[in-house]
Amino acid sequence: MNEKQNEQDVKLINRREFIKYAAVGAGAVAATVAMPGFMMGNAEAAYLSKLPMKYKDYNVVFVSFDALQAAHVGALGYQRNVTPTIDAMAKKGFNFTNTISVASWTVPASMTWFTGVYPSEHRLTNKFSVFNPPNNNVLSNLKKLSPELVTLAEVLKQNGYATGGFTGNAGVSGGFGYSQGFDEYFFEKGKFGSMGVSIPKGLEWLRKNKDKKFFMFLHGYDMHGQNEPEGGFDYRFVEKGYDKKYTGTPKEQEALREEGLANGKTELRDADVQFWRAIYDEKIQRTDARFKKFLEEYEQMGLMDKTIFVLTSDHGTEFHEHRRFDHGFSLYDELIHVPLIIKLPKQKTGKVIKDQISSIDVMPTVLDLLDVKMPENAAKQLRGASLVSGLKGKPVAKDVFFETDYRQYTYKRGIQTKDGWKLIYTLEDKSRELYNLKKDPHETKNLVDQEPRKAYELEQRIFAHFKAIGHDLNAKQWIPGLNPVYDSQAKGAQKK
Amino acid sequence: MRLRRAANGLSPIVTSALILLAVMCPLAGMGFAADPPAAAERYKDTNVILVSLQCLRPDHLGVYGYKRDTSPNMDRLAKSSVLFDNTIAQANLTPVAMMSVLTSQYPRVNGMIAFDTAKDAVTSRTLPEILKYYGYTTAAVSGSPEFFMRYDTESGTEIKLGDVFSRSFDYFGRTRKGLGSSLRVAPVESLDWIKRNKDKKFFMWIASGVIHVPYAAGVPREDRVVYDPPGYTPFWEKFHSIKAEEGASDDTTYDVLMRLYKDEYYLGFKPVYKLTPTDYSYIVSRYDAAIRYTDNFIGQLVDTLEKNGLTKNTILIIHSIHGEDLGERDTYVHYDLSESAVKSALLVRLPDGQQGGKRIADQVQGIDIMPTVLDYLGVPRDHSQQGSSLLPLIKGEPGATGTEYAYIDRIPWWEHTLSRWYLEFKNSQTNYPESEKKPVKEYGAMLRSAFPAGSYPPGDIAIRTKQWKMILRKEPRLLEKVSWYGYITGSALQYNDIELYDIVTDPHERRNVAAQNPKVVETLRAKLMEWDAAVDKKKASYGAGEKRYIIPYP
Repeated sequence: MNEKQNEQDVKLINRREFIKYAAVGAGAVAATVAMPGFMMGNAEAAYLSKLPMKYKDYNVVFVSFDALQAAHVGALGYQRNVTPTIDAMAKKGFNFTNTISVASWTVPASMTWFTGVYPSEHRLTNKFSVFNPPNNNVLSNLKKLSPELVTLAEVLKQNGYATGGFTGNAGVSGGFGYSQGFDEYFFEKGKFGSMGVSIPKGLEWLRKNKDKKFFMFLHGYDMHGQNEPEGGFDYRFVEKGYDKKYTGTPKEQEALREEGLANGKTELRDADVQFWRAIYDEKIQRTDARFKKFLEEYEQMGLMDKTIFVLTSDHGTEFHEHRRFDHGFSLYDELIHVPLIIKLPKQKTGKVIKDQISSIDVMPTVLDLLDVKMPENAAKQLRGASLVSGLKGKPVAKDVFFETDYRQYTYKRGIQTKDGWKLIYTLEDKSRELYNLKKDPHETKNLVDQEPRKAYELEQRIFAHFKAIGHDLNAKQWIPGLNPVYDSQAKGAQKK
Repeated sequence: MRLRRAANGLSPIVTSALILLAVMCPLAGMGFAADPPAAAERYKDTNVILVSLQCLRPDHLGVYGYKRDTSPNMDRLAKSSVLFDNTIAQANLTPVAMMSVLTSQYPRVNGMIAFDTAKDAVTSRTLPEILKYYGYTTAAVSGSPEFFMRYDTESGTEIKLGDVFSRSFDYFGRTRKGLGSSLRVAPVESLDWIKRNKDKKFFMWIASGVIHVPYAAGVPREDRVVYDPPGYTPFWEKFHSIKAEEGASDDTTYDVLMRLYKDEYYLGFKPVYKLTPTDYSYIVSRYDAAIRYTDNFIGQLVDTLEKNGLTKNTILIIHSIHGEDLGERDTYVHYDLSESAVKSALLVRLPDGQQGGKRIADQVQGIDIMPTVLDYLGVPRDHSQQGSSLLPLIKGEPGATGTEYAYIDRIPWWEHTLSRWYLEFKNSQTNYPESEKKPVKEYGAMLRSAFPAGSYPPGDIAIRTKQWKMILRKEPRLLEKVSWYGYITGSALQYNDIELYDIVTDPHERRNVAAQNPKVVETLRAKLMEWDAAVDKKKASYGAGEKRYIIPYP
């Protein structure tokens, strides 16, 4: 493939353009993706209509490819072939191409899969519940912050499942309470670990538990900025002429992130952005290959036909699209638009589902598919909706909400409507960004002044939503600073 | 048909109920997934007129039971309107109380908390701002200088307005330039504007200060003297002349009324004259004449709407910005949080006179006006609004009640306003005895040291139920020190930290019954402090470093 051409495609393609792209049949990868209506034959439609939607006592493998931007996934329109394994599963399964995460960094976003409530509600919105540096910081912990919440692993465990989590630690560390409900939960302290470590641990556990019904959470930071491949990069996608200003290390990535946070923007040349995307693609491709090996071993254990697969990511990542780097601070599409693939046992033919949905819908969907007995408190807590009707072809598109409280820098809340309007509201300065995603998918033109009524109404939706879930955004002043979950205990809170 | 339309108006409330319901049963997949049902989109073709009257006491209107025939037009209008019998202002001073209405926020939340205000002090959304989002042409005509004048004390000039009272108005008309009582004339220009713009969808805000001191000074003499006791000579003419450039020496000026305390007239720090029933009757007569003249303007407004076919598609709201003290509680004008100063008239005429003639006894507040308008129009209310729609009350929905607890901010203290400019300004208008001139300067210096430039003005807070009013003095010792009445009487006043009044048996609040009702105090104090803390959490930045301009009070 022409590398130069490829780079341009990387820049140009995004999920909405992809739909058009695929429609005219252009693009080798895109053309292989099954599209409903015009690309799906009658046989496939008939197959899907007969596909069962209840999988009592089946296994679930829930995979989080941490920090995988939707636009870098082949099944979502990316032109460079970096995710063949994920794409293949997407082709066989249900590929939700408009999945919006509830948050733009790991701790708040991932806990929503496991609790079915918004980050404001599970309260893992900050790493600390008490901040009293240097020695008296207390990590946020689900059991302490929201003792009433029931986790996905707990529900499944109560229903007789063996539960195992194998992760890269950091944002999904057991210390935050991610281990709640898991028989075994692997996280290597102090690491942004990769699937190079978590997969072998997971397989080891599988060998012991393969004859039981099980729920497995598999996670790795392989694609994340704070991880680099064991043995270093081979720079397989980097332009030959690049002057090597950057080499792709976690340190460089961190420096760029901090530069953006400190100055409000990063200074990067187009060539640097291309470099970082190339590095990212190498990481993605290596991870995909690891996942392929995992699946091969999984297949050999004879578990494939007994398992529902959920492949997703907690958030995306940004490469200077809005002049920042990394993730967490903003709520732009590159940060909250994530892949979501659900493959049912024995499923041979898949479907692209373009309806906009939220990561908060994942837990109700998994529980619905498994047809488990829901404890009453768990059933009550879920805010999302099961997507099973969407698998059956019914419309499931909805307006979605997202949020981020990021370190000492910002508090943002947002809404994205199913008809393509998005408002990001920054609480500390009441500033607003309104985008018409249909016309401006890259979110470059803030329409607050041109569309004051739209901005006003969406602002009301955001405030009404958070108030309805018990978080009146007007009830406090939002002052940037190291703001732990418990304000009153924020002794010595100050800028780093 | 009319009933059907009224029922449609429920939908915003039903909407929020549905959202709440969806939250309770999220697995149903409704609510968050579904679009909110469309509200009645009355904003497409309904005009809104808000008439804000300074210092209007409801108990001086016929329709609220006054014996003098001050308000034939409003009485008639009430037959096709909904009348609220217990409306409480959020503050006792005009710019503060009015901004609270225009934002549906308590004063500290929107930031209009003093007469020396930075130009951009208030950033909260106002009613015209929201209506402009929905395609309204917005216009205001103000006969209240508080809304169109700012004074730069450094240069001694009036500055061009461009601040929050005029923000979001396509047209902002004012009565006339200069300082003086003739600023407070009927805002008749609004009638011409309505005639010219009757085919547009409009919001018009009409403000009038005719009822403000000096009562009715800017209106034709025959209207001003209509209720005067025959042959009366004002008592103050025995003591001094009034140097007011405009108006007449028999006007009930600020200077005179603010030197009345416990029915005595104070000059040179001692009582010099005891008010007679005739003197009192004269003051009230001028006040009533101002209401009568204002009522006449309301008549013209209604006439204009009728002749231009606008009564079928216009909401007309008439309200008091706040009330007025006429000596019941020792003082005049609107110095403190007495019932007379905070009780307001409120009349809501819906298009075609729907629900006409209804009277609502439940307690409501001025901050409820804006949510009511938006609710009726089908415009989503702003999340920052602190009032509640009155439509459920108007429609008599089961369970609809008003505000069990009304909250009032006495901010700024009047002495804070005096300290900024007004003390010297006023004391140069009246020919006071020499013995008073030097102490005025000293008093001014003391006030300025008590209220340093840019410091947040101190205030008092109050809570009111249908039976009780409790006033909590936040800094009683400071209030005693700076008190205007302490100053003119030459003897220090004493304030209790807590004042509790039974407003049913003691409507003039003469007897503090806090000591006798500890349980009531406990409950009300807890409520009041809870509100106070919540408001403080949301309070607007006061912008200490900003250049400030004075809102004059001619």
